[in-house]
Amino acid sequence: MPDPPEVSLDEKDPVLRDRRDFLTRIGLGACTAAAVGSGLVTLDFLEPKVLFEPPTSFRAGSPSDYPDGTVRFNKEEKAYVIGCPGGVYALSAVCTHLGCITRFLSDQNVIACPCHGSRFDLEGSVVEGPAPRPLPWLEVGIDPSGLLVVDTAITVAHGKVFKA
Amino acid sequence: MSSLPPLDLIESADPLATPRRVALVRPDRRPAVRTTDEKYVMTFPNLIVREVILFQLVVVGLALAAIAFDAPLEGIANPLETPNPAKAPWYFLGLQELLHYFPPVVAGVLMPTLVIVALVVIPYARINQTAGPLWAGAGPRRALALAAATGAVVALFGVFQCWPIAVPTAGIALAMFAARRGEQGGAFRRLLAKVTLPEWIMIWFAVVATILTVIGTFFRGPGWSFVWPWSHPLAF
Amino acid sequence: MPALDTAFRRLRESDVYRSIVRHGAASTNRNRSLLVFENLFLHVHPVKVREKTLRFTHTYWLGGIALACALILTATGVLLMFYYHPSVPQAYRDMKELEFVVDNGLFLRNMHRWAAHLMVFATFLHMMRVFFHRAYRPPRQFNWVIGVVLLIVTLLLSYTGYLLPWDQLAFWGVSVGTNMAKEAPLVGEKSRFLLLGGNIVSENALLRFYVLHCVVLPVALLLMLSVHIGRFHKDGGVQGPPEEPPQREEVR
Repeated sequence: MPDPPEVSLDEKDPVLRDRRDFLTRIGLGACTAAAVGSGLVTLDFLEPKVLFEPPTSFRAGSPSDYPDGTVRFNKEEKAYVIGCPGGVYALSAVCTHLGCITRFLSDQNVIACPCHGSRFDLEGSVVEGPAPRPLPWLEVGIDPSGLLVVDTAITVAHGKVFKA
Repeated sequence: MSSLPPLDLIESADPLATPRRVALVRPDRRPAVRTTDEKYVMTFPNLIVREVILFQLVVVGLALAAIAFDAPLEGIANPLETPNPAKAPWYFLGLQELLHYFPPVVAGVLMPTLVIVALVVIPYARINQTAGPLWAGAGPRRALALAAATGAVVALFGVFQCWPIAVPTAGIALAMFAARRGEQGGAFRRLLAKVTLPEWIMIWFAVVATILTVIGTFFRGPGWSFVWPWSHPLAF
Repeated sequence: MPALDTAFRRLRESDVYRSIVRHGAASTNRNRSLLVFENLFLHVHPVKVREKTLRFTHTYWLGGIALACALILTATGVLLMFYYHPSVPQAYRDMKELEFVVDNGLFLRNMHRWAAHLMVFATFLHMMRVFFHRAYRPPRQFNWVIGVVLLIVTLLLSYTGYLLPWDQLAFWGVSVGTNMAKEAPLVGEKSRFLLLGGNIVSENALLRFYVLHCVVLPVALLLMLSVHIGRFHKDGGVQGPPEEPPQREEVR
């Protein structure tokens, strides 16, 4: 059977140049959609939905344990719980540079990181060193029995003190 | 390859056509269509035996190293105890040294990305095909442009007090200018004179990467402070 | 010894042998051709090579060294896998077991480690050699890009393997690295979360790195290496120091 006569694209609707062309486009489009869909589904599969990591909130004693000037370092939870005139607040002890664990130097009243020499004041602001951001403030709350609860996964605004 | 006559291709759009003749191979020729005038030898044994010997040499060399030096194994991983210093594997120590001077976004993400992009682009940049020796046929304007460019780089890294990059850049700039009157001089000077601009850039990159890695490996101790190599143990 | 010679000759002429090895003794060029041409593993080579490429100073055999390291790493790696559980804290105990209990365990682990370092180093040197010989010029441009991809895969293989001993060096080395990845704009946090399988370097991270190191990245390396080698064989073999300016092939 002879080929249909060539018709210039300008005359005909480009999508329906001929049936073969149309079906080819639909076929390729379907393959692309399938490939993209498979990729997205795979990425979603790889993202863990349930984590078996240790819980991020911990009890930190009662508010009366934190008179002004107290700094308590919780090593397991990597947080400082600090008492100030307005109440109690908590700082993350994880250096914002590359994740090393800082330590509180009481004689110098400063929080220092051993890895690259970053230093923070007791409000978490960077005093020295390559850390790009201040130490995050963590959420402090109170549980029904009156004990302080700190959640290391929830950050609050800088300066938000929990009034006990 | 020596100049060969261009291939004449006759292309057909008909998928059902049977080609009458794809290529004619004379009985005294190789089946390869495009050849050179160079001397060819049989792959077996010439190449195969060399590959086998190379493999054996590498195995023997590594076996000797494995007998002589033990891979490190420190205490079990403890998420609560950060060792001081906390060092990455040696091929990333150059990057970690850069972190000392620049914020993590720059040193950890931006610079490595730029390096990879620059590497990938190399064969497609026209200058790499056409570059001749740096000073070939160059007037005083090129010397000025080069001095300005290297000066800017040294100044940029000097501003960030990144001496491991600023100082070698200055050194390489000196070498580039030393190559300027390279024709009169010893064998080394003449070799320097042949280096093209892209090659100078690659030399700069290799020197800077090596220096950063060496500093990060041997000269950095607790708190990433500067220490002498003999005062602390090394880990690989 | 004539008796041994006769025995070997009878073996080579036997039906069973002839059914496996289809070419005769490699003493004629025809048989040498068939040996390379008909063998699945060897036929990535051309039957004849340019004599110039055999010299040490042509390529310093750096690509070959990297390939040899890759083979050694695969062999030692598979052997190490028989004693290694990618779980916490069992992984560390397995390292101790390999070091002190398993026969040749320490030797194999050392081989694996030093071959890994040599492979990274040889790959860098190979890249430099190709650059200074300008062996990336047309038609070899894309092969250079594949080479850069291979470099990245090699570094990733080394990095994922670094975590597996689960000692302080491994844990904190990877912590620092993934914290750097977090800094990437837009995709940083998400890619770190996917890579670690969580928010912290934990059992999930170890398992993911193990799968990457033992399956995903070796397969990627094998595929890309095949393309890399196939491409330069089609382009006329390894190119050493350029003798004359490159010429684009004309096809009218």
